[in-house]
Amino acid sequence: MAHVTIKGLHKHFGAVHVVKGIDLAIADGEFTVLVGPSGCGKSTLLRTVAGLEQASEGTIEIGGKVVNDTRPRDRDVAMVFQDYALYPHMTVAQNIGFGLRARNFPRPEIETRVKRAAKMLNIDQLLDRLPRQLSGGQRQRVAIGRAIVRNPQIFLFDEPLSNLDAQLRDEMRSEIKRLHQELGATMIYVTHDQIEAMTLADRIVLMNAGQIEQSGTPLELYEKPRTRFVAGFLGSPKINFIKARLENAGIVFADGQTLKLPAVDAQRYAAHAGKPVIFGIRPQHIDRAPMTGSPHIKSTVDLVQPTGARTYVTFTIGGEPVMAELDAHDAGKPGDEIAIALDLAHFLLIAPENGNVLGR
Amino acid sequence: MSAPATRFDALSEWSDRHFKWLLVAPAVLLILALSVYPLLFSVWVLFVNYDFTVPGHGFVGLRNFTRVLADPVARWSLWVTILLSTINVTIEFLLGLALALAMVKSFRGRGLIMSLLIIPLFISPVIVGQAWALLLQRPFGPTNYVLSQILGFEVTIGWLTQAPWNFIALVLADVWQWTPFMFVILLAGLTAIPPNLYEAAELDGVDGWRAFWWITLPQLGPMIMLAITFRILDAVRLFDTIFVMTGGGPGTNTYSSSFYLYTLGFTQFHLSEATAGAWMFLVITAILITFLVRRLLKAEPT
Repeated sequence: MAHVTIKGLHKHFGAVHVVKGIDLAIADGEFTVLVGPSGCGKSTLLRTVAGLEQASEGTIEIGGKVVNDTRPRDRDVAMVFQDYALYPHMTVAQNIGFGLRARNFPRPEIETRVKRAAKMLNIDQLLDRLPRQLSGGQRQRVAIGRAIVRNPQIFLFDEPLSNLDAQLRDEMRSEIKRLHQELGATMIYVTHDQIEAMTLADRIVLMNAGQIEQSGTPLELYEKPRTRFVAGFLGSPKINFIKARLENAGIVFADGQTLKLPAVDAQRYAAHAGKPVIFGIRPQHIDRAPMTGSPHIKSTVDLVQPTGARTYVTFTIGGEPVMAELDAHDAGKPGDEIAIALDLAHFLLIAPENGNVLGR
Repeated sequence: MSAPATRFDALSEWSDRHFKWLLVAPAVLLILALSVYPLLFSVWVLFVNYDFTVPGHGFVGLRNFTRVLADPVARWSLWVTILLSTINVTIEFLLGLALALAMVKSFRGRGLIMSLLIIPLFISPVIVGQAWALLLQRPFGPTNYVLSQILGFEVTIGWLTQAPWNFIALVLADVWQWTPFMFVILLAGLTAIPPNLYEAAELDGVDGWRAFWWITLPQLGPMIMLAITFRILDAVRLFDTIFVMTGGGPGTNTYSSSFYLYTLGFTQFHLSEATAGAWMFLVITAILITFLVRRLLKAEPT
């Protein structure tokens, strides 16, 4: 167990600047998820912590010790790779025990440790198989077993679930979460999947174009995003962004409909009055039935996508498509005229010129 | 009215069913004439007198076999074949592996070096033999001269006429020509090893020589088997370089099995004995091939 401190980290690959100044402190035992779109530098950051890539600039500390010049094997980190990276010619038991064998642990100790790890991951009946005789989920369990058997200071996960099918992914996700609770180890987990990030993380570090866009607890990022990018990245279905103007009367949409803001909010945003803004609201905060005190907007149902309990309904406000997550029985059908209630306890105003969320 | 139509249908059905035979007939005839017939003919030749120096084709029982078996040159040539194939393939494998390991990472000029390295593969073995014969020739070849200059004393080795130098010359030519073959196959095998295995191994505490031993070699296993099998199959029929460089000499010193059988049949005209020898050599080779191919098929790609 150890904490990790990253200071002013840069990484260049030739002329390509992949990681552009990362400062990050990860507490002992914390489950940190690095999340972001492909190419945002999250994997590179992880590999730099592992020592598989050299930092171009900046320092990495593990347990208070700068490890920039420490070889990966001496950093006491274990990594689970996206494509498992199991040794194809070794059995499951040999795969899991390889790190111990390489470090000259006595044979009986290797055996007990391998068995314990295998038991934890429910693969103790597979120990004599070869990786190619295993399913994707089993392979990933072996890869995780290879990490936990060494009892490292830090666990690194590089998109470990993205090669699995949806159902297995859910299952393994809970497994990893449970593992973290049991081991209490420091874990850094890279993914591009916001659901994985939300469900697993003690703390999410949302990266974009080589920099940290925002970091905090999953709820913080979900409820109080600092930028349009963060708001748009987390949450499913995606948050709606609607172009509008902020006037003294309230939010004026392109079609002239006005949404009157509560007095507190009107005051809060007073400085931005008269300017164009982007009005952001999540599909969960849009409802059909009139809510008391919530002003209404009128529109026509365009598209209805039932998913069972909830139904996604698309319509337009001010010419822009807006999706609402409604109760299946409120959904209506395409062409219906509807009155829409927006929950004004949960909305964002974003400055269109820089994407920053206003009023923060 | 319907009769001609039926007849036409019958004809078209017949041709549908039999036309394919017509299409393969030329190839089949060719194989029959050039492979199957000579093979069957050779079985007859095994047991009769078929010797240009002795008239008549009388039945001789197993005499053709016993004569070859009793011939010390036959046994010597078999040893030469085994010795040369083993040495050649071993050196080619080790050199090819070293080259492949050196070339697996990309660096400036890698493409150029790679092209240079595989040039020998495009040269006919006879030409390779001829070139090496010229290089090693005494007294006009440059080899002894260069060695003399380097070593500081007069070197007068008869590379093509003096044992054991003649074997070294043959090995030299073979290694020069066929190391690239090993190199190319092993390089392909090395490139196919997923790089993240090494990364995982590095985190597991294994790198350098131990990674080579624990990751590279087992991963390369099937490719090594493939390369060695191909090379052995080729090496046991060694003929061209011997024919060009030493002519089997001095005396019968560098007779390989192929070369021995060639001399027996085509220069001494003991055709039935040569046939018997060829069949025995075929059986030995077949056993070797069966063994190697079985191993090869067992070494599954992982």
